[in-house]
Order: sequence, then C-alpha cells, then structure tokens
Amino acid sequence: MMNSMSNTVEKLKRIVNNLDITKVDEREIKLELPNEQVLPTLLALKEDGYSHLSLITAVDWIDEGKFELVYILYSWDNGGKFLITTKINRDTPKFVTVKHMWPIARYYERELHEFFGIKFEGNNDMRPLFLEMWDDMPPLRKDFDPFEYSKRKFPDREYQKDVIHEAKIIRGDIDG
Amino acid sequence: MAVDERSLWEKIADKLRSRSLWMLHYCTGCGAMELPPTMTSRFDMERFGMGPMATPRQADILFITGYLSAKTLRRVIYTYEKMAEPRYVIGFGSCTLNGGIYYDSYATINRLDYYIPVDLYIAGCMPRPEALLEAFNELMRMIRRGEANGWKKYKENYEWYKQNQIRSLGEVFVHDEFHE
Ligand code: SF4
Repeated sequence: MMNSMSNTVEKLKRIVNNLDITKVDEREIKLELPNEQVLPTLLALKEDGYSHLSLITAVDWIDEGKFELVYILYSWDNGGKFLITTKINRDTPKFVTVKHMWPIARYYERELHEFFGIKFEGNNDMRPLFLEMWDDMPPLRKDFDPFEYSKRKFPDREYQKDVIHEAKIIRGDIDG
Repeated sequence: MAVDERSLWEKIADKLRSRSLWMLHYCTGCGAMELPPTMTSRFDMERFGMGPMATPRQADILFITGYLSAKTLRRVIYTYEKMAEPRYVIGFGSCTLNGGIYYDSYATINRLDYYIPVDLYIAGCMPRPEALLEAFNELMRMIRRGEANGWKKYKENYEWYKQNQIRSLGEVFVHDEFHE
C-alpha cells in the first residue's frame, strides 16, 4: 500500500470503528462499511484528495437478498483508488444521494435506478437514462431473464434445416 | 407494375447509378472497424465509384455495421425514411443477420430485415474488407439487374414493417431529453 494511502486509512480509522479493509492491489483499497458510515467516509476521502468520483455502481447478491453499492473514488495526486461498498436491502432498495458532493452522481443514480431499481433519497430526477420505453423489471437484476425478453420482443430468424444438402456435402457430392 | 419491371429509361438509370454510389454508414457496431481499411488506400473503395456521405438526404446506401439496440434502431428507421429513393441497405456482420453473439441481449434486435428491407447481408463477425468489396460489387450487379428492390418492398409492405417496428419498439418517435 502506498504511504499516502495508508495515511488516509489511518485518518479514516479515527472516524469509523472496525474498518473492514481489503487491499485489492498496490493502489486500490476496498472498504466495506455499514450504511450510515458511507457518507462521512466519502466526505473524509474527498477532503483527503480522493475527489474524483469515477463510478457508482451496484452488485446484485441475490442469494443474500442484498444489493451492494460501490463508490469508486480516485485521487489525481497519487493515482490511488478507494472502493467504498455497502449493502442495502434488495426488496426495498433505497439509499441517500451524494449529488450535493458530486453533481455528476445524479446520472449514476439515475442509471442505478434504471438498471437495478434502487431509489436515492434527495434525488427525485429518476427519468430513464439509457433505455427507451422499457417495459419490464430493471434488466441488471439477476432474476431478470434477458433471453426470454429478447425472444418476446425481438423475433429471430427461423432457419430451415436442409438435410439432403448437408448429406451431399458430407458425401462429397458438392463442395461445402 | 410488378416490383422488378423496369422501363428502358430506368434500366439506363440503374446502370449509371451502380457506378456512383454514396454510402452512409451507421457505425454503432464493432465491425465498423473494417471500414477505414476498405475506404483508404489499401483496398480503396473509391475505385468502384463509391464514397462516404455525411447526410442521409444525399446517400444511396445505408450501411449498418453490426448490432443495433432498440434505441439505435429508432434512429436508423428515421435515417432510412429520410433517404431519397432509390435507397439500398447493406447489413454487415452476423449481428444484423440473426443477433450474432448478442442474440440473447435485452437491448439489441435480432434481425434487421424485420424492420427495414435489407438488400444484401455480409455474414461474419467481423467480415474482412475483401468480403465488403465483394458485397459492394454484388450490390452493383444487383442494381444493374434491377434486383435491389428493398425500397420498393418497403413502400409496398409499409404496414407490415410499421407493425413490426411498433411491436419491438413500442413507438418509433424519438424522445430525447437533451434536445427536447
Ligand atoms: S457481428 Fe461481430 S463484429 Fe459485428 S457488431 Fe456483431 S459482434 Fe461486433
């Protein structure tokens, strides 16, 4: 772990007790946090130079009944990266917005609402962002079946098997 | 008049048309990568009298490279309907043929000729520039023989195409929050 990153981790330990730290690699650290400690941690990291919000995304842990929210913060000073993750309930997925800290977050949050159905308190603009006229459950949930949807919405070509022709190729009558 | 019946004047016009085709490419698919070598000096598509064109109003060929999502299909239908007749469509890559590796995607269509008429398909993922040149030559031959009649089919079966478009897209009209 880089020196500057361990300094930051030391600082975080003062705000958050029982910090769950995973070192992904030399410049990447993952922190799993309880819901209520996410915002203070993000704020502390932002003040410490990790001010670039690269991404907010989610992972569907369907067997646990949880969504895992992932915030990725990047520092332009030392190239280090922090992954802040927290698990929320899958049945009533809700979290708080961070759009007051990073205006760009409102697009990520819209995307998460569109693809996972997660709502963000404080961000009311939940218009669809990528999909147009979507008419099913949010498509990146694990219980959504894309193949079934594709078959229903986008008809496929029907192929007819020409057995005689294939037999001729196998026998060498015609050049396949 | 049957679809493929042509007057003498049309036969002459087709002959001339086939020598000067302008192409509009809708390059949302990965196969678009094969176009630059086709256009530039190595394979030099221009020696066949073909050139790239920036607007649908002036283009003869609509060249679709690979997968189309429901969202882009809407734009493609717009583009196609804006083109002046006669207009030809080439579907490039297996994605336009049968969905290719995205056959089970919730976002991409599986078969282009269900929505707009396709005169010629190029199979492969992705087809090489040689295949493209072969296809362009084939299209020119088809135009000369009066076989590239997709645009007439579209007019005749407009209802069928529209109904398919509505079935998959819900509505063809484009709503766009950044332009409305
Ligand atoms: S056919 Fe292959 S190369 Fe072409 S768009 Fe589909 S996946 Fe990409």
